[in-house]
Amino acid sequence: MNDDDFSARLEAALARHSGKPWKVHDLQRLTGGANRTTISFDAADASEQRRRLIIQFGTAIEDPVAGIVPEITTAQQARLMIAAERAGAPAPRVVAILEPEDALGEGYITERVAGETLGSRIVRDERFAAARRVMARQCGEILAAIHRIDLAEAPFLMRQDAAEHVAAHRRLVDYYGFRLPALELALRWAAENVPRNQRHTVLHGDFRSGNMIVGEEGIRCILDWELAQSGDPMQDLGWLCIKTWRFGGAGPVGGFGSREDLFAAYEGASGHPVDPRHVRFWEAFGNVKWAIDCLRLGMRGIEEIGIERSAIGRRIEEPLWDFFNLIEG
Amino acid sequence: MPQSMPSAPLLLTAAVKYLEEELLPILTGYHRFQTRVTANVLNIVRREIELRDAQSTAERARLRALVGHDGDTETLSGELSQLIRRDAIDLNNENLRAHLRQSLADALAINNPKWPKQ
Repeated sequence: MNDDDFSARLEAALARHSGKPWKVHDLQRLTGGANRTTISFDAADASEQRRRLIIQFGTAIEDPVAGIVPEITTAQQARLMIAAERAGAPAPRVVAILEPEDALGEGYITERVAGETLGSRIVRDERFAAARRVMARQCGEILAAIHRIDLAEAPFLMRQDAAEHVAAHRRLVDYYGFRLPALELALRWAAENVPRNQRHTVLHGDFRSGNMIVGEEGIRCILDWELAQSGDPMQDLGWLCIKTWRFGGAGPVGGFGSREDLFAAYEGASGHPVDPRHVRFWEAFGNVKWAIDCLRLGMRGIEEIGIERSAIGRRIEEPLWDFFNLIEG
Repeated sequence: MPQSMPSAPLLLTAAVKYLEEELLPILTGYHRFQTRVTANVLNIVRREIELRDAQSTAERARLRALVGHDGDTETLSGELSQLIRRDAIDLNNENLRAHLRQSLADALAINNPKWPKQ
């Protein structure tokens, strides 16, 4: 499909979903890659009112481990983002969920939010210094909002309590046939140290630096909802703290903030106490998950993934090293 | 003494030097990023050639003590994985923990020497 065909279909889809005609301008492909396509564009109505929009397409590749660990479709992501916004979390505002009659494939259209997503810039650039001072508290408040989304609004989420989530990663390692003593110890440790007294809520599943849009005043929008699930809400807090997502920045929370700020804001906004040891379990297990992801990403074949993805396979020891620091420290 | 001269690590050092000192400064965007990743990968290969043999010999000795018999490093490591998985070894066994730590430290010395200091 060339750009003119694409624009015409996009205009037809916008008209179908909004009930009035639109003209599409400034199509720009934002990411390449085999997995996902994101295209930015502007749409103008008859009065030349412009809307800054994004169209996000789903992956065409069948994930071989779908059904073992959580992952949702693009249409489900859009439904969850709508529910998240209603609950008070800054998710991209959904304009349309694509339907078969749009003839564009699977995906959704959202409003486009300006700002920085690159983790290494957010944790280091001088212009985000003021943002960094408030972001850990914002994360606490946003996570509390995500965790109060009514589960009935997202019945498509895979339901896994902590023990089931750990067991699913055991199956993942077996599926790939990985045999690493450090990983085996980590999986056994996790199974033996699963936290008690879990609540069960909606989880973002990949809440971290790199998956948020940040401006000079702080966090503007939370992206990348495809790993959402329902489970132990402390999982989201632990994942945000792992060293990999600090991108070399100061502060254990995302490379920008303190655990005290994160926990205090979460407690204040949710009314639920945070046990630091409970979060620490998820930070430790988050490292195990990232280690498994490194193996998976590095093994998908150089034809498909190129040098950057291949090199990720060599990062597996980083989170395992951090895991031992957490359980022995 | 290697069969061919200059040695593989020296050739890789020369390749990285060209990428970093001559090519990178004139590149931007996608190719600048990819070239930096390529130089990093070549450095990993160089460090593996320089360090891995000695590491593997020491690793095999540690594994032999933990598993209780001899074999090649990879086989013994697979057997240790099975022992851990079948609960046949205590997770808090000090020799086990020390072995895993050392093996991770060895791999990081090849793949990302800066990580433990960060």
